[in-house]
Amino acid sequence: MHTLYARVNNASAMLSTCMMLLLAAIALSSLVFTADPKGAVTVSLVQVVPGNARRYRNKDQDFAFVTFNVSADLTPLFNWNTKQLFVYLAAEYTNKQGVSNEVVIWDRIVRRKEDANILGAGRNKYVFRELSGSFRDVKPAHYSLKYNVMPYVGVLTYGEAARTTEPVPFPERQQLAK
Amino acid sequence: MLSTIQNLLEARIDFEGQKLVEQIVRLWLILATVLAFALGFGLQSLRITFGTLGVSLIGLSLVILPPWPMYNRHPVQWLPPVKETKSE
Repeated sequence: MHTLYARVNNASAMLSTCMMLLLAAIALSSLVFTADPKGAVTVSLVQVVPGNARRYRNKDQDFAFVTFNVSADLTPLFNWNTKQLFVYLAAEYTNKQGVSNEVVIWDRIVRRKEDANILGAGRNKYVFRELSGSFRDVKPAHYSLKYNVMPYVGVLTYGEAARTTEPVPFPERQQLAK
Repeated sequence: MLSTIQNLLEARIDFEGQKLVEQIVRLWLILATVLAFALGFGLQSLRITFGTLGVSLIGLSLVILPPWPMYNRHPVQWLPPVKETKSE
């Protein structure tokens, strides 16, 4: 403490202690915000068409195309410790072998509170296909809109904003015109 | 010349001043942390939290780093030199 350097050292040591406590307090403050916004998701059309994946050219596979409507106001999830939201639409179904699957078919990153009101129609962003290659005899799927809150400091939290009320069956595969 | 620069860089203060600096640092930083959290939480902005902490840190540096006269009010009183006595 007698020299300049010793005073810098002492103050920064105290500062790091205070900073740790401040960060811990910020992380814990997220627990105070218990917003649980709900919305709606409806699937308007599911189509199953045959095709070839780029990776397995010789394998005959089914591709599902899902058209959906989502409406969810996720603005309550934004508080002082929210950096961004990862919103995604998952198809949940049990396949022929009885294995439960959850496939993310659409997602969106929300960085600002102003963009958190998610509204509109969409189509799957990512390829939706069954591991076995066919959607035949696959049980009807539920579609759920889920979110992942990413804080500046603290733990990631997950939640579900909406879910289809009735499971949506996969239609028969369409024959493409030759 | 060199010793002048060294003195300037070292910015020495006396023992009472060190005690005072220690107390100021502790109190200042704790209050600044509490204030930063309260303001940020109240106004729902992390920018305000770390802004408050940053500004208070600049203020603290100005208060404790330079060897202000108030830290040098109790210079150490040395004993008068002992007269050299012949050994042997």
